[in-house]
Amino acid sequence: MGEHKLIMGKDIYFWNFIVLMIFTFFEVGAVFFEEWFTLTTIWGILIIVGIVKGFGIGAYFMHLWDDPRIYLRVALFPTVFVLLMLWGIGLSNPEGVTGLPAWCTPNWDSLVTER
Amino acid sequence: MGGGGSDVKNAVWMRAVLMAGMILGLAVVSYAGLGVVAANAKHDTWESEEAEYDIAKKKYSAAVENGTITSGDENESLFVAYGNAYNDKTDAHLSYLTYRVAGLAILFVGIIFAAFLSISGIMNSSRADEEHDEHHGHDEHEHHGSASPIIFSFGCLLFLLGFPDFADGLHGLMMGSTKGTIGDMSISMIGLTVVTVGVANWWREDLPFNGYGEQLATSDPFAGQHIRKAGIWVFLMSEVMVFATFFSSYLRMRTEWCTKWALDDGKCSLESGESVVLTASDYLRPSGAKLDKFGESVGDFWTMLPGAVNTFALIISSYTIVLALKVAKSHDYKVPSGPLGKLMPTKKAAIRNYLIITLALGTMFIVLKLVEWSHLIAEGFTIGTEQGSIFYVATGAHGVHVFAGLLVMLYMIFKADTVEWNEDNAQGIEYFGLYWHFVDLAWVVIFPAFYLY
Repeated sequence: MGEHKLIMGKDIYFWNFIVLMIFTFFEVGAVFFEEWFTLTTIWGILIIVGIVKGFGIGAYFMHLWDDPRIYLRVALFPTVFVLLMLWGIGLSNPEGVTGLPAWCTPNWDSLVTER
Repeated sequence: MGGGGSDVKNAVWMRAVLMAGMILGLAVVSYAGLGVVAANAKHDTWESEEAEYDIAKKKYSAAVENGTITSGDENESLFVAYGNAYNDKTDAHLSYLTYRVAGLAILFVGIIFAAFLSISGIMNSSRADEEHDEHHGHDEHEHHGSASPIIFSFGCLLFLLGFPDFADGLHGLMMGSTKGTIGDMSISMIGLTVVTVGVANWWREDLPFNGYGEQLATSDPFAGQHIRKAGIWVFLMSEVMVFATFFSSYLRMRTEWCTKWALDDGKCSLESGESVVLTASDYLRPSGAKLDKFGESVGDFWTMLPGAVNTFALIISSYTIVLALKVAKSHDYKVPSGPLGKLMPTKKAAIRNYLIITLALGTMFIVLKLVEWSHLIAEGFTIGTEQGSIFYVATGAHGVHVFAGLLVMLYMIFKADTVEWNEDNAQGIEYFGLYWHFVDLAWVVIFPAFYLY
């Protein structure tokens, strides 16, 4: 458990909490700087912040870092379905036919039936 | 449930009734203060701002008609006064909604908390003390099946069957509209009552269980692990799928919408007469695309504030539940120095109070969410549009998860006074904590996707 690992006299939960709070400030603050950053940059910041916060909560608060690996495998299991959903979103998008790279699309040409 | 039970006397259950009374009292006082006194004062201010606005509008319109000033000339003092009066009127309306909805939300949440505690307390304390011994506690490895989840599920079915009418009734009650009446809420209220009875029975069965004798899985892939822990993880992963469905639906819909963002990025174009699709973030974000009648963005620091505060509240509440578990598992509890020491004089009090802080933060989350919804609806972002539908369903489903967590937490607070938690029996807090962290994790995705993007 994380309470046994001390950094500067405080346990890992405390430092995880501090990191989460700092990154939440970044997250909320990013949208107030739209004039300085492009919206795509802000979205990039939000994704990075989300990954860091997700890792902090999952790894330390939910103990996935210390617990037996079976729990990590269970936690990652839905990722397969989430990726499938994202793939489906891409394929069903009107731009999916021409806009997606070839490696992530079915071979569209082979699906064309000539009459 | 495993074994390791202990006897729970009627007096212990009466504490639940006492807690219910305290919570109800607090909710009524908060409602009276916020929802009646402060809201009425704000309503008066709103009315006077409306009158000021009407005067400013008439003066401006008359001046334009007379040809004294040009329509829309920002340098004219009458136009500035008209704009300022409009802003003041809008702010006064939203301020009134803040107090009114906050008061009503606290009362509503308080009544449900009190109902759960009092029905459980009265149902269980009215049984003879001997009956409490009848099913529990002498075999470390005994296992009980329970019918409570079936009762609970039937209640959920009734609640959801009546939900469309319930929503209309609630809308009528909170916003004073004529769309629905309190009578429309009856099927859902019966459902909630059945849920409450199911939960009360569940509490009765669980309270004597002091956490020793946790059952272990005997076969792969969880061999040697606590069955309840494996169960909660599998449950959480099914919940991930629920939220992934909302999220992927939103992303799929979003790729079709010509939002301001997509327009600026050259990903879509507008025909004449068309306007950009407005999402919730356009109403909330500073420089969002929703403009008022004077061309100013309706989003600013204050519209973002409830969502931002809620984000911090969930992170802090995740930490306080970790602290409750840490104290529960500690061998030698040291009383903190300073004012915190007075709040946490004993190990038992520390666990209970950390849970109470978590409950308070979660309740604040629900109240602020409803306040924020009332503002969005007042500004025209309703569930009647595609954007509104996915926003309210996704954030509402998350809110329901937070609220369900609060009801469980209410029980954990009650149980904290009856069980001596230590390193070997604090799994209850740990497993509930996993659920609470998941709710926080879901918000980590929902907040940027729906509020900021």
